[in-house]
Amino acid sequence: MSMDGPVSVARSLGGGTPGAERGGVPVFELDGLSVDYGSFRAVEDIDLAIGANEITAFIGPSGCGKTTVLRCLNRMNDLIPSARVHGAVRYHGVDLYGPRIDPVEVRRRMGMVFQKPNPFPKSIYENVAFGPRVTGHQGNLDELVEHSLRRAALWDEVKDKLRQSAYALSGGQQQRLCIARAIATNPDVVLMDEPCSALDPIATLRIEELMIELKQDYTIIIVTHNMQQAARVSDRTAFFTVDIKETGARTGRLVEFDDTGKIFTKPSQRATEDYITGRFG
Amino acid sequence: MTTDHSDARHRFAESLDEVRTGMLELGGLVLENTRRMGEALLENRLDLARTVVGADEEIDQRYSRLEFRVFEIMARQQPVAGDLRFLVSATRILYEIERSGDLAVNGAKGLLRRDGYTLPPHMHSLVARLARASADLFARGLDALRSLDPEAATAIDRADDEVDEVVGELYRAIARNAENIGFDLAIELSRIGRYLERIGDHAVNIAEHVAFVVTGSFPGGDPSAIQDE
Repeated sequence: MSMDGPVSVARSLGGGTPGAERGGVPVFELDGLSVDYGSFRAVEDIDLAIGANEITAFIGPSGCGKTTVLRCLNRMNDLIPSARVHGAVRYHGVDLYGPRIDPVEVRRRMGMVFQKPNPFPKSIYENVAFGPRVTGHQGNLDELVEHSLRRAALWDEVKDKLRQSAYALSGGQQQRLCIARAIATNPDVVLMDEPCSALDPIATLRIEELMIELKQDYTIIIVTHNMQQAARVSDRTAFFTVDIKETGARTGRLVEFDDTGKIFTKPSQRATEDYITGRFG
Repeated sequence: MTTDHSDARHRFAESLDEVRTGMLELGGLVLENTRRMGEALLENRLDLARTVVGADEEIDQRYSRLEFRVFEIMARQQPVAGDLRFLVSATRILYEIERSGDLAVNGAKGLLRRDGYTLPPHMHSLVARLARASADLFARGLDALRSLDPEAATAIDRADDEVDEVVGELYRAIARNAENIGFDLAIELSRIGRYLERIGDHAVNIAEHVAFVVTGSFPGGDPSAIQDE
């Protein structure tokens, strides 16, 4: 696979045909991934393969490194000067941390939704149109905005007030707007970092329903503290824990990764059982 | 059911222990009634038969309370993994215990319906063997639940084969002597054989549910292998 220049870098990142990898090459392969923040090792030796068109949940106690691992997938950790990533993160078989990979292109392919809804201080329309504009979208922008809002199950609620400020929306609507914004650039992965933790149960349910609908087109990875949410929506669950060393240093590691049904009925590791049944953490 | 950090989770662990203790106490009442029913039949004791029937009311009440408690825990605690396996299995085990209690009552009611009957000597010894073997098997099922021993199911299943053999002998003896003892009694004794055999089956089922609670798998790997009514 050639990686000469930005165009071929984009091509070499693969994707483009959502679902093509089902049962084939995983969307992500983490091979001995460790992350340091300065002299502090945040996570150590993570091996993980994430399949296409699945919802993968990362669960575990605070400090276990689940968000750190999520942020390695779209190179968000690059934005932290002291962060260093060891091991391999392959996306459609390509080393994401290879020398010719453009992190901006990586992030275009991986939409991200954060804990707190964070719409831009712009209109509903402009929130969705912003990404495609920046990345030079050539088609009909109105159509793309409508399509994205429909996919995010928000269109019917906002179609008559597209020029109003996004801040006028409720928290749950703002979060769906952020999902619409995330998918407007046609990514093939959506990363979600506790997307429902600021939402009420009804808004949470809508996001969960939306996730299940969106996985037909996208690979979704969600970090969640809500174990019932992981049990309800995800296909596969990765349980991380945190080891406290003699020096007091806390390092996250992956304990168990399996089908969600198995994790919540018959986990193979005692540490997983203790955590999900509330006996630890 | 280990210790935990928060009060809420501690209470949850305690409530699981309460359910298990409640099941064992219920099982103890049913075991007592099963033995009482055997004694009533063997000694033609109508007073004991009445005690068996009367004792079932408390068994039914405890069964309903425990079953409701399990549903309530599931609704409020949303258990997973080993806790979920335990609570789901608890509803099944409670059913096995309660059904065994009903079978003991059926045997006692049969004696009362006929205003008592005396077992012919050969059948007396067979019913005595069967009543003892069934009650022993039921006690072993409860022991498996008490100790949460996943291995007990295999041994209890083997012991159940012996119960089945004695039942077979009893049926053959009934067939040979049906005319002598009268068809009504022959039919009643066939029922007794069936009741006692089923109590043994319920004991096997209890032990198999215990294995599932502990290991997440049924002995033999297939839940359908569990014996049906």
